[in-house]
Amino acid sequence: MRKFLGIALALTMVASACGGSAPGGSDSAALAPSKDVTPAATITWWHAMSGVNGDALNKIVAGFNSSQSKIKVETVFQGNYDDLLAKLNTAIASNAAPALVQVYDIGQRYMYDSAQVVPMQAFIDRDKFDTKDFEPAVINYYKYQDKLQSMPFNASTPMLYYNKDAFKEVGLDPAKPPVTFTEIADAAKKLTKKDASGTTVRFGFGPSIYGWLFEQLMATSGQLYADNGNGRDNRATKVVYNNAAGKAILDWWKAGVDGGYFFNPGIDNDGAANAFNAQKTAMYIESTARLRGHITTVAGKFDIGTGLYPRPDSKPKEGGNIIGGASLYIMKSRPPAEQQAAWEFVKYAMTPAVQGQWQSDTGYYPIVKAAYDTGPSKEWSTKYPQFLTAITAIRDSPQNRMTNGAVIGVMPQARMRVNKMIESVLLGQATSQAALDAAVTEMNAAIDKYNKANP
Amino acid sequence: MSVRLVLTYALLVVGSIIVAFPLLIALSYSLMSESEIATFPPPLLTTRPTLNNYADVLDTIPIGRYLLNSFIVSTAVVAGQLITASLAAYAFSFLVFRGRQALFFVFLSTLMIPWEATIIPNYMTIRTIGWLDTYQGLAVPFMATAFGTFLLRQAFLQIPRELWDAARIDGASSFRFLVSTVIPLSRPILGTVAIYGFLSTYNQYFWPLLITNQTLMRTTQVGIAQLRFEETLRFGLVMAGVVMVAVPTLALLVLGQRQLVRGLTAGAVKG
Amino acid sequence: MRWTSRDTRSLGIGLAYLAPSLILFAAFVFIPLAQSIYLSFFNTRATGVATTFAGLDHYLELLTSPAFRTGLLATTLFALYTVPVGIALGLVLAVMLNQRLRAINVFRTMMSSTIAISAAVGALIWLLLLNPSLGLLNYILSLVGVHGPDWLIQPTSAIIAVSLTTIWLTLGTNIIVLLAGLQGVPEEIYEAARLDGARGLRMFTRITMPMVSPSLFFLLVVDTIAVLQAFTQIHLLTRGGPVDATRVLVYSIYQDAFQNFQFGYASAQAVILLLLVMALTLIQFRFVERRVHYQ
Repeated sequence: MRKFLGIALALTMVASACGGSAPGGSDSAALAPSKDVTPAATITWWHAMSGVNGDALNKIVAGFNSSQSKIKVETVFQGNYDDLLAKLNTAIASNAAPALVQVYDIGQRYMYDSAQVVPMQAFIDRDKFDTKDFEPAVINYYKYQDKLQSMPFNASTPMLYYNKDAFKEVGLDPAKPPVTFTEIADAAKKLTKKDASGTTVRFGFGPSIYGWLFEQLMATSGQLYADNGNGRDNRATKVVYNNAAGKAILDWWKAGVDGGYFFNPGIDNDGAANAFNAQKTAMYIESTARLRGHITTVAGKFDIGTGLYPRPDSKPKEGGNIIGGASLYIMKSRPPAEQQAAWEFVKYAMTPAVQGQWQSDTGYYPIVKAAYDTGPSKEWSTKYPQFLTAITAIRDSPQNRMTNGAVIGVMPQARMRVNKMIESVLLGQATSQAALDAAVTEMNAAIDKYNKANP
Repeated sequence: MSVRLVLTYALLVVGSIIVAFPLLIALSYSLMSESEIATFPPPLLTTRPTLNNYADVLDTIPIGRYLLNSFIVSTAVVAGQLITASLAAYAFSFLVFRGRQALFFVFLSTLMIPWEATIIPNYMTIRTIGWLDTYQGLAVPFMATAFGTFLLRQAFLQIPRELWDAARIDGASSFRFLVSTVIPLSRPILGTVAIYGFLSTYNQYFWPLLITNQTLMRTTQVGIAQLRFEETLRFGLVMAGVVMVAVPTLALLVLGQRQLVRGLTAGAVKG
Repeated sequence: MRWTSRDTRSLGIGLAYLAPSLILFAAFVFIPLAQSIYLSFFNTRATGVATTFAGLDHYLELLTSPAFRTGLLATTLFALYTVPVGIALGLVLAVMLNQRLRAINVFRTMMSSTIAISAAVGALIWLLLLNPSLGLLNYILSLVGVHGPDWLIQPTSAIIAVSLTTIWLTLGTNIIVLLAGLQGVPEEIYEAARLDGARGLRMFTRITMPMVSPSLFFLLVVDTIAVLQAFTQIHLLTRGGPVDATRVLVYSIYQDAFQNFQFGYASAQAVILLLLVMALTLIQFRFVERRVHYQ
C-alpha cells in the first residue's frame, strides 16, 4: 500500500511538472506515461511482414527478448497491410487492439483521426530522444504538424528495375538506364522483341497498375496530390491530380500499351515482378523492397540493374520520390505499462546495429544513418550496389510538400480508385482527362464524407 | 471390347483429366523451384522436381497445428449440427403444432442472409463473451444449420408413417421414437449432413481470420493465405500449401463419396 | 380456429425441439442482422460507431449511384454465366457417370473432387492459370492453336474468368447431386419408355430431365444463392476489377466495410442484397417449381 502511494505521489508530481510547462514541445510529453512506470512484462506486436522479411522481423524481436529480461515482445502476423488495417479497425471498435502495431504509410491520417494513438513525439520529448541522425525524408513523412506520430520501421522507395543483358543485346548502355518518359519509351521500343509469328516474346517495359506508382510519378513530376499542402498543412479537402502533369503520365502509359512496347500485367504487382524475372519484360518499376526477392529468384540468369524512378522530360527540380513502407504505432487503449514496454522496444529497433542487420536481411533501407557504418550494412552495399540507388534517390530528392507525400483519411480508397482510373484509360474506355476528372470527382465526395464523419 | 465401350472410357478419361486438371497443375507446380517457374513460356511439368517447397511451408507456417485446429473445429461443428438439425427436422416432419409453417420459413430465411450483414456484430458478441482465439468462438456460431435441417426433414418424411403410428400406440414418447427408430434409419442422410458440414467449416476463411489473433489458433485456410507474401508471390510455395491443405478433404471425399450419393438419393432431392 | 390449451402444449413441445437451432439463429443471425439494419440508417465513424442519423440517405444514394448499377449488372452477368452453365455441365457429366462400368467410381471421384476444394484454394490455382504474367492457360490454349484473351485484364473476359473458376468449384456439388437424382430414377420407367420407342435424345428430354427436375431445381436455388454470395474468388482474382467489371454486390459491401470503413453505407447494401436474394428465391419457387416433377 505504501509503495502504491509512493508511486501515485510521484506520478502526480511528474504530471503537475509536465502540465504547467512552456508551450512548443513538452506538451506532447504529457501524453506519454511517466518515466517511472514499470514496463509491462509482455506486449503484443501486430505486423504484416512475412517470408524473408518476416524472418528478419522475428530476428529483431528475438534479439530484443534475449537482450534483457524485463520485457517480452510477442509478434503476430496479421496478413498484408490492408488486412491488418481492417483487423485493427475492428479491434479498436471492441477494445482489443495490441500495444504495438505496424501500419502502412497511407494509413497515417486514419490512425491520427482514430485518436487511438500515443504520438511517438510524446516519448521522444519525454526522454529527449535524439532523432538528429534519422533519415530526414523518412521522418518528415511521418510527422504531422511537426509532431512525429509513429516511428518509421521499414522504409522503401520505388525505382526502375532493368535487365542489363537485354540492354547489351539491343545496343543500349547497361550503365546508363533511361530516366525520363521519352527515354523509357525509346528504350522500351528497342527492347521489345517479337517472334516469327508476330507474338511479342519480350516487352520493353511492364509496369503494373498500382496507385502507389502513380503517386510517385506525380511526385517526381513535382506535383501535389491533394490540396492544403498535400493534407499536411491542414486537412485535405480535395485531390488535385487531374492537371496537365497527371494527363502527361496517363498519355505516356497509354501510348506505350497501345504501341505494343509496354506490357500490361493489370493490378497484379506480383505478376509484374514475375514477368521481369521470366524476362518477359526488360524493365519495370517497383519498390526496392523487392530487390532481395528478385536477386534470389533470378539466381544469376541475367544481370539486374536498378535506376532512378521515371520522371517527365523536363526533370522538374522540385520533383523527387516519396518514401513508402510502414511505421510503428503505440496504441492508447493499452495500459501505460504496456505503452512503456512498447517504447523500450521501439528504441531498440532504432539502434544502428539492429537497423544495419534489418537492411541487409530485407532490402528496406535504414532509418538511422549510423546504420550504414555497421558491418552487415557495409557488406550488403558492397555485394548489392543496386540497393544504393534507392537511398541515393531519397537523399537527392528535395524535401517539400510534394515529396513528403499526401495524407488523406481515405488514402487506401484513393489508391484503389486510381487503379480503376488507369485501367479505364488503358482499356480505351475513357480519355486521360475524362478518367482523371471522374476519379477526382468521386474521391472529393469521399473525402467530404470522411471529413464530415470524423469532425 | 466394343467401339462404344472404348469411346465411353476415352470420354470419361478425357473428362476427368480436364476437370481435375487444375489440381494436377497445383501438384506439378508444388514440385517446382521458383526459378523454374519464372520462365517464359511457362512450364507444365517439372524437369527437376524438388520437395523444397513443402519443407518451406513447414518452416513458414505451423501447418500441423492449423490442420489440427481445423479438424477440431469442424468436428465440433458437425456434432453440433447433427444434434440441432435432427431435433429440428424431427419437429418439422413428425410433430404437429400451430405455427410450424411459419417457423419453417424462419429457418429458410437464414439461408438467404449474406454473411456481411452479420459478421461485424458477431465479432463484437464473440469479443464481449471472451471467445476470441477459442475453439468455441470458431465453432458455436455455426452449430445450427437450416440446410442440414431441410435435408434431414426430407429424409425423415420418407420414413413409413406406420412405424410412427405403431410407436404411438405402444405409448412411446416422441423423443423415444426419434432416438430408437428415426435416427438409425437415417444413417445415410446423417452421413451426408456430416460431410457437408465438415467440408464447409474446414473451408471457411473470413470468420477464422477475423476472430483469431494468435497464430496458434488459426485454421488451414487462413494459414495458406499467409503464404502470400507482401513483396513476392512464390507460386511453388503457395501450391505446396494448397496441396497440403486439400489432401485431407480429398481423402474425405474419396471415402465418403458413395455415402454422399446414397444419402442424397435417399429422398433428399426427390422432393 | 380458436387457440386451445392443446395447441399451446403442442407448440411448446415443438419449440423444445427447435430451441437449440432457434437460439443459435437468434444469437448469430437475427440479432446481428437487426443490428446491421439499424446501422444502415446511420452515418458511421471509421470504427463502426454510429454518429448521426442518416435516415434513408444511404439507400437513396445507392439507388441513384452509377456504381451500384454497375454492381447489379456485374452480379447479374456473373449469375447468368455461372449457374445455367454449371448445372448443364454437371448434368452432362452426371449422365456420363451414371453407367454401370468397371472402375466407374474412380471417374466419379475425380470429377466430383472439386467439392472438396475451398474457394480460396480453387481461386489460387486458377490465379496461376489465368495470370497475365505467367499465362499458363493461354499457353496451353496456344498449343492447340487457340489465342486466349487477356483474362483478368479485359472487363468481359474477367467476368468469364471468375465465372469459369466458380463453375469449376461448384461442379463437384452439381455432379454429386445430379448423380444422386439420376440414380433415384427407377429402371422400370426407362424400360417402359423404351418399349414405347423412346431413344437417345428423346429419352433424355422426355424422361430423364423431368425425372431429375427436383435435383435441377434444388441446384438452381442453392447455386444461385451461393453465386450471389461469392466473395473469395473475386477477392483473389480481380479485386472487383478491371474497372469494376467484377465488383458484384457482395464485393462492394466488403470494400465499403473493410477497406473504406463505411459501415453504415455497407450495411444498407447488405440489406438490399438480402432483399434481392429473397426475391429471387421466391420467384424461383413460384414460377420454376411448377415445372418440377415430383414422384
